[in-house]
Amino acid sequence: MIGLDTLTYLFMAVAGVISLIATYLAVVENDLVKAVIFSALQSTVYTVIFYLLMAPDIALVYIPVSVGLYPAVILFLIKKTESTEGDLERSGGGSK
Amino acid sequence: MRIKKLLVLGSLIVLVLTLSLAFTSGALGYYPLPLPNVRMLAYWYLNTTLNPNYPLFTAMSPEAVTAIVWDYRGLDTLFETAVFFLAIVGALALARGVPLRKASDSVSNGDNSRGLSLICKTATKLLIPLIIAVSASIALHGHLTPGGGFQGGSAAAIAPLLVLVIFSVFFLLDRGVSEKSMLTMRTAGLVGIYLTALAAVLIGMLTGLNAYVFQNQPKLNAPVGIPALFFNALISGTLFFFNVSEYLAVASGFTLALILLSIPEEIVKRFISGEVHE
Repeated sequence: MIGLDTLTYLFMAVAGVISLIATYLAVVENDLVKAVIFSALQSTVYTVIFYLLMAPDIALVYIPVSVGLYPAVILFLIKKTESTEGDLERSGGGSK
Repeated sequence: MRIKKLLVLGSLIVLVLTLSLAFTSGALGYYPLPLPNVRMLAYWYLNTTLNPNYPLFTAMSPEAVTAIVWDYRGLDTLFETAVFFLAIVGALALARGVPLRKASDSVSNGDNSRGLSLICKTATKLLIPLIIAVSASIALHGHLTPGGGFQGGSAAAIAPLLVLVIFSVFFLLDRGVSEKSMLTMRTAGLVGIYLTALAAVLIGMLTGLNAYVFQNQPKLNAPVGIPALFFNALISGTLFFFNVSEYLAVASGFTLALILLSIPEEIVKRFISGEVHE
């Protein structure tokens, strides 16, 4: 039988690991649209951690800002600029 | 490229190991998280936030976070709001001189030709009332349950964002959600915050009693207070009005910024380069 504390820690650990992987993918991803989606995934699991740490007020503001508004602003900017990191430097391909 | 990836991976691993070391060596104490016992300061807030036995200290709100944000530490929140709205003013200043209404007229070729598919549009039409209702409940119950003006306002801003992406910015402008109306709503919200902050002082001036700015419940030497109950419903004095005003101001502020961001680049360029005159 798993206790409530252990279960809470387990969820937090899983959320932390997912956020870590998402952070790594967001940093190394060259396609900026995908990077934004990884960043939103990271924020989503942060919301879980906030909720488990008993901060529902922060969780409530974190969902719309980090999943809705912040990716939207970044996506608008990507649309107006370039969609791939370093478009001009590596036009002939390269080791990815 | 490979070195960059290894560097990123290595720094993440070092960060995680450092944090783990800090936690296991007792940086946050050896208590489990969340802490089983609250500290003295938290105990004081939890004990007074809704406690009619301490009429000089209570905020008359069961939601301690909102009580701290808008009553105990109200001035902090006022300046946070000011910072947010200065940022919006900056966005408005950048987009000055681009007449959105004219931009809307110059591309008016029917609503249905722009935006995503009919499925997306229908689903959005169903979702928008739900988003508005949820955000309003977050804001209006902010003094009773987790949530508040900023949370509700940023949730409400998702509705115009969906319309912007799935229909188009011109759909929104044609429906009256323009930068002018959003500016008016934002100003109304800010005036509401201003009046709520000064409410006790105004009552004090009228009745000749001593009162403070940002006062909610009666205090020592300042017997003026905003009633906590409205027809037997708990509104927690100023907290309800602060939440409603902040809700309007934040929702319209975010919508304003998103509208300015989503005006198509070529139209902005056309207006800036002077091809089209006002």
